[in-house]
Amino acid sequence: MNKDELIICRCEEVNYQTLRDTAHKYQCTSRELKLRTRAGMGYCGGRSCRLMVDKIANSNEGEQDLTYISLKYQPPVRPIKFEDLGGDKN
Amino acid sequence: MRLNNAIIIGAGPAGLTAAATCAENGMNVLVIDEYMRTGGRLLGQLYEEPDGGWWNGIEESRNLYEKAVELGVEFHLNTPVNNLENEGGVWTIYTEQEIFQTEHLLLATGAAESPIPIPGWTLPGVMSVGAAQVMTNVHRVQPGDRGIIIGVNVLSAAIAMELSLANIEVVSLALPEKNLITQESANPKEVMKSLLHVSHMAPSKFARWGSRLMKNSFMQTLGVNFYPKSGVKMWNIPVQLRKAVTEIYGDDKVEGVKLATINAKGEIVPGSEENITLDFVCIAGGLYPLAELAAVAGCPFYLVEELGGYVPLHNERMETPLQGLYVAGNITGIEGAKVAASQGRTAGLSMVCHATENQLEDEINYSMEQTSKTREEAHIQFHPEIDKGRTKILNQWKSYHLEE
Repeated sequence: MNKDELIICRCEEVNYQTLRDTAHKYQCTSRELKLRTRAGMGYCGGRSCRLMVDKIANSNEGEQDLTYISLKYQPPVRPIKFEDLGGDKN
Repeated sequence: MRLNNAIIIGAGPAGLTAAATCAENGMNVLVIDEYMRTGGRLLGQLYEEPDGGWWNGIEESRNLYEKAVELGVEFHLNTPVNNLENEGGVWTIYTEQEIFQTEHLLLATGAAESPIPIPGWTLPGVMSVGAAQVMTNVHRVQPGDRGIIIGVNVLSAAIAMELSLANIEVVSLALPEKNLITQESANPKEVMKSLLHVSHMAPSKFARWGSRLMKNSFMQTLGVNFYPKSGVKMWNIPVQLRKAVTEIYGDDKVEGVKLATINAKGEIVPGSEENITLDFVCIAGGLYPLAELAAVAGCPFYLVEELGGYVPLHNERMETPLQGLYVAGNITGIEGAKVAASQGRTAGLSMVCHATENQLEDEINYSMEQTSKTREEAHIQFHPEIDKGRTKILNQWKSYHLEE
């Protein structure tokens, strides 16, 4: 198995190579890395890969802002039914 | 929609202790947890204490739960909270089943496990080390016949011992291969350093190495350079700081791993890979505070490496800068269950203080002192510089309030 094909975001199937190359090319923040690759934007809401996406992005940044969570948490933080989000039971 | 005196999210040692404390002082308490049992991570814990007694997490959990029930605490298990909102001093807690409200909300959501990505880690049979612990100690199901633990740290060492108590073969504790994500967890020298403070747990050569030889950085390098290739045995399981797993292989499920020799910097020695046949793999990336609810609540955060990651800003009374929002346990930093329970007591007392006319200054001060004492006496310390981390967050709390 090619190491670069290592899956990082399982929901959106984003691999290590894509994240590493994107982070390198754009020298971007973790938020930008997420938006460019969709890593962390799948149905689990980044629960599995958030820390890894952060680490890859932080590998090229200088000083990190300690008071600010770089990849924001948004509700719902657990999966819920569409009908509970305001849909119709029918 | 119901209004409760106090709501506690998380039924681990911190949440259960806080619940009992609030109820003892006349509050009407509801505890919510997403798992089907109370106890949180405490459930999986089973180890021998230095005095020869056994710490059985299942029993500890049962005692805390029964005490809370006797005091009239209500429980909603199997109930994940998906959002929090505050309006006019009232917290609204959203779950799929019901919506709850309170003016006094404690987040005792504990910790989650950090991932370590390894090629092949999406195969069935790969699990976090905490999952293997819960399967073995809580559900009494073997995760497999023969496995390997990737990631050498306090948690994985403790769980390796628990697996071996259950007669499950663990062939090795080894490191992950170095990449942008694994970083220090793939560096033998860094791992060696982080293990020095658990050396007293190992009744072996490892202990003596740890306590005497490894005092300074030079000796650590030496220790790693001369680290035996076959590893040093802890509870009969080889701890292999000079081996890294480069791949997990198998067609539809785990069939084995490729294990390579690494140099002191964590670089692979070419041609050293060998195949090890296995049927399960545990990934041990360590713990980080599970703070997602504090984040959606709008609580300020601070990144403190010694505490395991981003923690909600809080003081020693377990208050956050947000009115009516409290935190206790691993959400405030990774430590053992006894420290969590002690923080839970402080948080409970703070909630009582705010909710009622009771003046509990003496009790709160005593409880805060007990937390420090419990920390000093802790059998397992997850980060060697936990005190430094605690000081950082308290200083940040002070400077935050000076800016306000």
